[in-house]
Amino acid sequence: MIPAKFDYVRPSSVEEAVSALQQAGEDAKILAGGQSLLPVLRLRLAAPSTVIDLGGIPELKRIGEDEQYVMVGAMATHHEVMRNDLINKHVELIARATETVADPQVRHRGTLGGALAHADPAGDLGAAALALDAEFVILGSGGTRLVPAAEFFQDYFTTAIGEGEILTMVRFPKYTGWKTHYEKFNRVAQAWSMVAVAVALKVEGGTISQARVGLTNMGNVPIRATGVERALVGQAAGPDVAKAAAEHATEGTSAPSDADAASDYREHLAKVLTGRAVLAAAG
Amino acid sequence: MQLENKFTIAAPIEDAWKALNDPELIAPCFPGATLTEYEGDSFQGTVKVKLGPISLTYKGKGTYIERDDANHKVVIDASGRDARGNGTAKAVVTGTMVADGPDKTSVTMVTDMTVTGRPAQFGRGVISDVADKIIGQFASCVADKLTGPGGAATSNGSGPKHAADETSPIPAVPPAAGAAAGPESSAAPAAPATSAPKPVTPRQPQSSPIEAIDLLDSAGAPVLKRLAPVLGGLGVLALIFLVVRRARGGAKKRS
Amino acid sequence: MTTTAEPTTAEIGKARVRKEDERLITGRSRYTDSITPPGTVHIAVVRSTLARATINSIDKSEAEKAPGVFGVFTAADLGAEQVGLPCAWPITPDQKAPQRPVLAVGRVNFSGEGVAVVVARSAAAARDAAELVEVDYTPLDPVLDMEAAAQDGAELVHPDLGSNVSATWVFDSGAAGTGGDIGEAIRTAEADSDQVVVRRRFRQQRLIPAFMEPRSCVVDPTGEQLTIWAATQVPHILRTMTTVTLGIPESKLRVIAPDVGGGFGGKIGVLPEEMLCVLLAQKLGKPVKWTETRSECMLTAHHARDQIQDLTITAKRDGTITGLDVHLYADMGAYLGLVGPGVPILGAFMFNAIYKIPALKFTCSNVFTNKTLTDAYRGAGRPEATFGIERIMDELAVELGRDPMELREQNWISHEEFPFTTVVGLTYDTGNYEQATRRAMELFDYAGLRREQEERRKNNDPVQLGIGISTFTEMCGLAPSRVLGSLDYGAGGWEAASIRMLATGKVEVTTGASAHGQGHETAFSQIVADKLGVPFEDVEILHGDTQVAPKGLDTYGSRSLVVGGIAIVNAAEKVIEKARKIAAHLLEASEDDLEFANGQFTVKGTDKGKAIQEIAFAAFMAHDYPEGMEPSLDSDAVFDPENFSFPHGTHLAAIEVDTETGRVNLRNYVCVDDIGNVINPLIVEGQVHGGLAQGIAQALFEEANYDDQGTLVNATFVDYTLPSAADLPSFTTETVSTPSTTNPLGVKGVGEAGTIASTPAIVNGVLDAIRHLGVTEIEMPTTSQRVWRALQVAKGHSVQQTPSTTHSPGAGLGSIDPNNPKGEVQ
Repeated sequence: MIPAKFDYVRPSSVEEAVSALQQAGEDAKILAGGQSLLPVLRLRLAAPSTVIDLGGIPELKRIGEDEQYVMVGAMATHHEVMRNDLINKHVELIARATETVADPQVRHRGTLGGALAHADPAGDLGAAALALDAEFVILGSGGTRLVPAAEFFQDYFTTAIGEGEILTMVRFPKYTGWKTHYEKFNRVAQAWSMVAVAVALKVEGGTISQARVGLTNMGNVPIRATGVERALVGQAAGPDVAKAAAEHATEGTSAPSDADAASDYREHLAKVLTGRAVLAAAG
Repeated sequence: MQLENKFTIAAPIEDAWKALNDPELIAPCFPGATLTEYEGDSFQGTVKVKLGPISLTYKGKGTYIERDDANHKVVIDASGRDARGNGTAKAVVTGTMVADGPDKTSVTMVTDMTVTGRPAQFGRGVISDVADKIIGQFASCVADKLTGPGGAATSNGSGPKHAADETSPIPAVPPAAGAAAGPESSAAPAAPATSAPKPVTPRQPQSSPIEAIDLLDSAGAPVLKRLAPVLGGLGVLALIFLVVRRARGGAKKRS
Repeated sequence: MTTTAEPTTAEIGKARVRKEDERLITGRSRYTDSITPPGTVHIAVVRSTLARATINSIDKSEAEKAPGVFGVFTAADLGAEQVGLPCAWPITPDQKAPQRPVLAVGRVNFSGEGVAVVVARSAAAARDAAELVEVDYTPLDPVLDMEAAAQDGAELVHPDLGSNVSATWVFDSGAAGTGGDIGEAIRTAEADSDQVVVRRRFRQQRLIPAFMEPRSCVVDPTGEQLTIWAATQVPHILRTMTTVTLGIPESKLRVIAPDVGGGFGGKIGVLPEEMLCVLLAQKLGKPVKWTETRSECMLTAHHARDQIQDLTITAKRDGTITGLDVHLYADMGAYLGLVGPGVPILGAFMFNAIYKIPALKFTCSNVFTNKTLTDAYRGAGRPEATFGIERIMDELAVELGRDPMELREQNWISHEEFPFTTVVGLTYDTGNYEQATRRAMELFDYAGLRREQEERRKNNDPVQLGIGISTFTEMCGLAPSRVLGSLDYGAGGWEAASIRMLATGKVEVTTGASAHGQGHETAFSQIVADKLGVPFEDVEILHGDTQVAPKGLDTYGSRSLVVGGIAIVNAAEKVIEKARKIAAHLLEASEDDLEFANGQFTVKGTDKGKAIQEIAFAAFMAHDYPEGMEPSLDSDAVFDPENFSFPHGTHLAAIEVDTETGRVNLRNYVCVDDIGNVINPLIVEGQVHGGLAQGIAQALFEEANYDDQGTLVNATFVDYTLPSAADLPSFTTETVSTPSTTNPLGVKGVGEAGTIASTPAIVNGVLDAIRHLGVTEIEMPTTSQRVWRALQVAKGHSVQQTPSTTHSPGAGLGSIDPNNPKGEVQ
């Protein structure tokens, strides 16, 4: 299918990209990996005047670190992210969630930044990023600003990225040695999550000293399951603890309903999957 | 699908009714809509809907089926077509106001909406949510206008959240590979391609998925003084009656 | 000059990799959309977004002004208001058939129906301009529920027809004299405490064939013959039907099906867009191309299945079946497809399946709704029948407290009883259900899994195990022409082939069975190589062009090998007979003294001989050949089968159901199919694997839903969940063989077997896993949510209704509940 006509810009630096975006005005769209934008363009559910392709900015693909953080360029592909040593070492949960995204073709084209900026509540990276308190570096004409994950996701497909701004990087605090698991439930292998649970645990001497749990597709944004986290901390990781903690999984959620899962089923799944994710992470 | 929206205005019913009939006050609350024509009980207009990557513009027309000043009730039938032929939308909106004590007025809108074509194929849920949000935003905006911020009416579309204040400069992109090697490396250096890091300016992010685009463009503004923004098809129409009512009679056309 | 390559023997049965694949997978394929004759113009169809509406006006003015646009046309503009697309299968003399227009005339009857067409310099310009065509409609409430639509007083899809029921077709074994009276059987069973009556309603959900290459056609009017390239399974039928539809003399038409990327029955139709391209090409004098988008394909290419099945089976308490009554509603959609009305009827003869059922009645009402039309899809009628009978066999087993396999065995035709004439009057030539079943149960470890199932039940394991059985048969090799005649089908069932012996000893074979992914080139080459004793590599299979292979009835219904292959065999026999005459002449021997083997004619008892290639060369030179014959070995054959073939098999599924989430996991799948003799085991395995995936997908994954406006809500592959290899286990497939006696190759056909057999095996397995928890029925697809809800209901928990027409997550479009409005401000 053929999209409606648009102007195409391929800047070679982030500054150029921002200025192109500001010149192009409100109907411009940023093209990252194109795995969500291109289908919408081809279906003609959107007809932007200008598409600004970030594919020509190599530094946006970098993955680096400092003492505190792993820094991932917004244009790092899912495939690069899930194979990256720094990520596997310090923010393993991101690698585990990324592995479940769609299929290999999508993972080779789709990007971490694109997926997060798209902010589909059924997308897999939001819950993990939220659970890990990722921070989003957003560049506009006035420079960069840093938005914590808790404030980044604002609504369905809506983030803190303003008009004329670009998400350039996501940085993750290091969770070296944490045990993680991403438990995803979907219709078919390549599908979006019906519900998924992202869990990272710090286990010291058999006891969970810290816990971070995020939920996918249990509301219009990724949700942090703080009730589950509280119920886990200080406990020995085991089936009973996991089950009891999982009972808190629906707190603060507003599960959507669709043909695959009405809200009551999603709530049920959230509990079951949380229990399983905790056990899998701890095990 | 049926959408029901209720909100309360901290004003007596007659005041609320009057205030709600002041288009100058109300019109800016209306996301994405532009009135193009109004004549008798019929009107035409457009509404632009944006949600994430989706952007649709519905062109439509509407008719007042029923209008009851005494009971503050109106029924509007509206239908529209996406400008790109993606599909149609149709809404029958019933709006009622009742006094909720001497100083409060509660407004109820019931919107019976059908959406066909691609938005229904690929995102019927989304469209209903969009409609729901438009109404929610409009209602919350109207309530704010009438009672002032912090007034009795509260919004369900939470206002923009503020980005965290950040005092240290943040580079836009990850450090280059060489610089990123050792765990001993301290702060990540700015990538060469980026400008010198500037202090982060906290900024109002766009909070709403629905962007008011054509609401008060130059051509439309004078008309909107007398008429009201109208859209085709979406549940938003529920509120149109509140603003259009006063302008009934006489054909006006946008230049 | 003549080849001296070693003749091959025993090509048949060899697991050759497909010779066409190198071309197909290295980018040398040539699909219709890659064909663009000079001067081609492109079209885009403006489609209704409403399921049922009257058209008040069509405003073309903006579109006509758009850049690159040559014209915008409605049916009236093309003078095509009276044109109706053909339905070749009037199942009853009084069948109600609406005109199916090339573009809607005055009203639209399903969402996606064409209303106008834009012709432009490029496909992009056409698509851009199509957006500018404004159609003013008055929407009408769509007719969506087939059962309600079939009742008196229902809102009518086609008011002029006076009813939504297109036809009701009945087969009654009592009346036909092929069996007993079902009414009697039911009355007896109801009155007799030693008999049982089991009634069940099953639903065949609507499916989308989902072939890989979207449909496309190019029409070039500039030659003497108007040439149509089309992504079709049926180039020959398309040619004839173009004549029938538009009145163009058949001799002025050439149809080419180049490489075609799958069909599964989905490309068996004659399309409004194809006829539009012909009309436009004639009008404009230029080549015209149409290639649909995937969205158009999902919306407008014919759908399939969509039946309500009401079954009543009667049996003695000892397990002996005494009768089966079948009532179907079949949703035709808004119009009748080329063979759509006959699809459920093909199932009529398969409800008795492998069982000795003394009385059977089949009643089917074909019903119009405001949906995309339905037509053939892999199995066509037989998967529905197989599902119905194999599901109710399990239900009967439960009712009688019997092992479901043992109950089947008690009722099936034993191998000594072949040939066996069934209650519907078909004669099954060969089969051995015991043999296939025995092997399948061994491979499956049936007894071991039953033990594990018992354990899991006892331990209250959160993951329960079920065993699903399907002992299916099907009728393949469509079809004996006289049978089709008795069913009022608008064509015969023969197939044609020609063999040309080239001067250099190479062989060209033309077949009327046009391949679209099946591997015909390989399998047919193997047959010809064996028959003529020439190397496999020397055989070229030509098809899919009415100039090259002028005669044929194309590919569907597992017929290519069983009918088309036999035509090739017969043509080869004729070649050999002609060659024998020349060989005898050259060898100065009597024909009777010649033996033909491995491509050599030899004089018995001597070492004198001639290779068939030498004979071919001699015929070409024509310097020396017998009097009274033509100097040619080339031969044609048309084969009309005397009977169907009846492949069968035993399919067993081990199903795990996670009772906590409702997730169904197909752990293991074993099938042993008896498809007669096997030409190429690799192709057979591929066909079985693909067929299984599609049949399992019906049981677990696929479903096309409409919302209350008549909008298809699974119109992308995000929402229409096709499984991938990641969702399926590695299948265990084997074959056993009781060769068919109705054709010289002893083959039965395999293209549809996997699809026909597997669906009930899966659903039976799911129910077997959780029946002890009180679950008795789950509609297809048995998604995790449906299973979970069934379990909740069985436990007496109240649950939310499932909205079936809302969206699954994704497509980048999220997942929001339209039935759960929020927005309370205060």
